[in-house]
Amino acid sequence: MSFEPIWGAIIAWYLFLAGLGGGAFITSAFLGWRHPEAVSMRKVGHLIAPIAVIVGLVLLMFDAEGGLHNPLRFALLLTNFGSVMTWGVVFLGGFTVVALVVVVLDFLKKSVPVWLDIVGVVFAVCVGAYTGALLGVCKTFPLWNNALLPILFLVSAVSAGAASVLLVAVIRHADEFNRVGVLKKFHFCLPIIELVLVAALMFITSSNSVAGWNSVMSLLVGSYAPLFWIGLVLIGLVLPTALETWLLFFSPKEFEESRKAHWISFGSDAGVLVGGFLLRFLVVMAALPVTITVPML
Amino acid sequence: MARYGMLINTKKCIGCYACRVACQRQNDLLPTQDFIRYEEHETGTYPNVAIETVPLQCMHCEDAPCAAVCPTGAAYIGADGIVGVDEGRCIGCKYCMAACPYQVRVHNEKTGTVDKCRFCTVSAETSGTKMCSCVEACLTGARIFGDLDDPASDISKEIAATNAQPIAGDLTKSKVFYVR
Repeated sequence: MSFEPIWGAIIAWYLFLAGLGGGAFITSAFLGWRHPEAVSMRKVGHLIAPIAVIVGLVLLMFDAEGGLHNPLRFALLLTNFGSVMTWGVVFLGGFTVVALVVVVLDFLKKSVPVWLDIVGVVFAVCVGAYTGALLGVCKTFPLWNNALLPILFLVSAVSAGAASVLLVAVIRHADEFNRVGVLKKFHFCLPIIELVLVAALMFITSSNSVAGWNSVMSLLVGSYAPLFWIGLVLIGLVLPTALETWLLFFSPKEFEESRKAHWISFGSDAGVLVGGFLLRFLVVMAALPVTITVPML
Repeated sequence: MARYGMLINTKKCIGCYACRVACQRQNDLLPTQDFIRYEEHETGTYPNVAIETVPLQCMHCEDAPCAAVCPTGAAYIGADGIVGVDEGRCIGCKYCMAACPYQVRVHNEKTGTVDKCRFCTVSAETSGTKMCSCVEACLTGARIFGDLDDPASDISKEIAATNAQPIAGDLTKSKVFYVR
């Protein structure tokens, strides 16, 4: 029996953008700590953070038609603190407020206090991890119902956030881009960790139930296989890792700082963003429910 | 207070879908809203095989995942143990649809909200309201409705006699029992 996924591309976009916004804020805080001279890049991250999250939230409201027709109902979102979604609203609300305050401070050319940075980073981590827990608590879908997902989504969120900041830096702040070596090295590690987590998710999900096996097979060899292997694994994870390994560790320093190398980095970061979206999309779409594919029936 | 439940005997079910048609008319549903969903389940090994029709609907779980995840409190467990939807609170996020292991919650494309079996037949039982619910419509008498806590009720006696079980064991403490 075929199964129509409950959530679709809109929710995948939302999960991706919320994570990206949180990741961009974390990247900015990291820059403030390790590369305080990269002022422009820091501001880029501060600007991306609220924009990405707010666009994501608007998508979410359009998907929730019952609320779209009766907007006052959205106020009820804070009524069930047993629900991960309610916690998500709290985290997203807190994060958006902090991110907007930071943007205003940047515009007024005032410095962002360290405590505000820390509060923002805590909210950003909560937002990134919550998107995984949101799916994770649904016992219906073995591909979601595991503790790996919040970690995987958080790592991917930070990776996508950093990629978005570096991407803009290549175009607008090439001088600063050359001087943020520590950020680049951390950013380099994230797709590798993600690769391990994705592999772990596939192995464990495929062995925990028939529905889990079928979900994993639809990703590895089924209808989602081209997107999974070419989009997520190759473009999103392996290619950025290979390109950055070469640029960071094997290419001569003059080349690393050349314009040509910048555009190679740009390509690798674009790949990370494509992979970040596809990760959410594939996890949302390929999950099969326990009661249809197998019957416990 | 009564603890209402239902017994569905798939050995009597002929797969005519009369229960779903009755449900849609009784509850004035859209053609796309099917509170009862059917799975055809193959049993046995060739050459001795059979196809069993299993009607699935809201199990009115005592441990209802839909109510646990609903962020607005629109999905709730009522005082009578019947799982309900307060349409005026539903934002249509579909979280309950994802959380329901039986996949029996349906989206109303007109209002954007989510709905499901309301155990409407309880009003026929308690106040004698004339209706044609799934229970009354079933041609073969495959469905029995009643009080699970009353050992003398038809449903309790039939569950005991046929060793009926919830569709997925104790997964969610379901109140719909199946004979298979």
